[in-house]
Amino acid sequence: MPEIQFTINPSTGQLETHITGVAGPSCDDIAKLVRELLGQPARETETAEYRLQPQVRLQVHPGQPR
Amino acid sequence: MSKYLIFEDFAFKDRRLLLGALAELGYREVEEGGALALFGYQGDQRPETAQIVVRRRFLGSASNDLGFVRTADGYAPIVSEYDQRTLHSGAFLVKLRTAYSEAVIEEVKRRLHGAAHRTVEGDRIRITVRY
Repeated sequence: MPEIQFTINPSTGQLETHITGVAGPSCDDIAKLVRELLGQPARETETAEYRLQPQVRLQVHPGQPR
Repeated sequence: MSKYLIFEDFAFKDRRLLLGALAELGYREVEEGGALALFGYQGDQRPETAQIVVRRRFLGSASNDLGFVRTADGYAPIVSEYDQRTLHSGAFLVKLRTAYSEAVIEEVKRRLHGAAHRTVEGDRIRITVRY
């Protein structure tokens, strides 16, 4: 399940964001939303998970044209 | 007379969330405009202008107006040296940034239709949003 872990340091007010369970471009969408609200981060790193290709499973429902 | 300082590193990107964070700290009365004048504690008009202003009567008897000026990075606080030292025992900007961070997380949760789980670990607040 995709999740975003936020860590606030109350003595500085700084916020760290860690996005997990989301690969590649979908992760970028979340990062874009966070940037829209927070501005450019001081530091940004891609995890190994980011480089995974998202798994897309096609579901074929009976009766649907292919 | 206390000098005004502009904290560009503390710029707040989203106006609505900034207003929410100010309200969270008790500053619900704000003025908004294109270039509002800032006044010092003796009623003296200062050269600085801002787009969002908390008037000094809502801060303290010796306070100066508190402003936020729009920059490319967001709304940067304009705080007098005196208020930087005294508001919230000198922790005003840190508390505002913490309140803003919490508002950002709430907004992310809302937009993703997610659920949030909050824990405190040591001196850190951890909030996990699942969606």
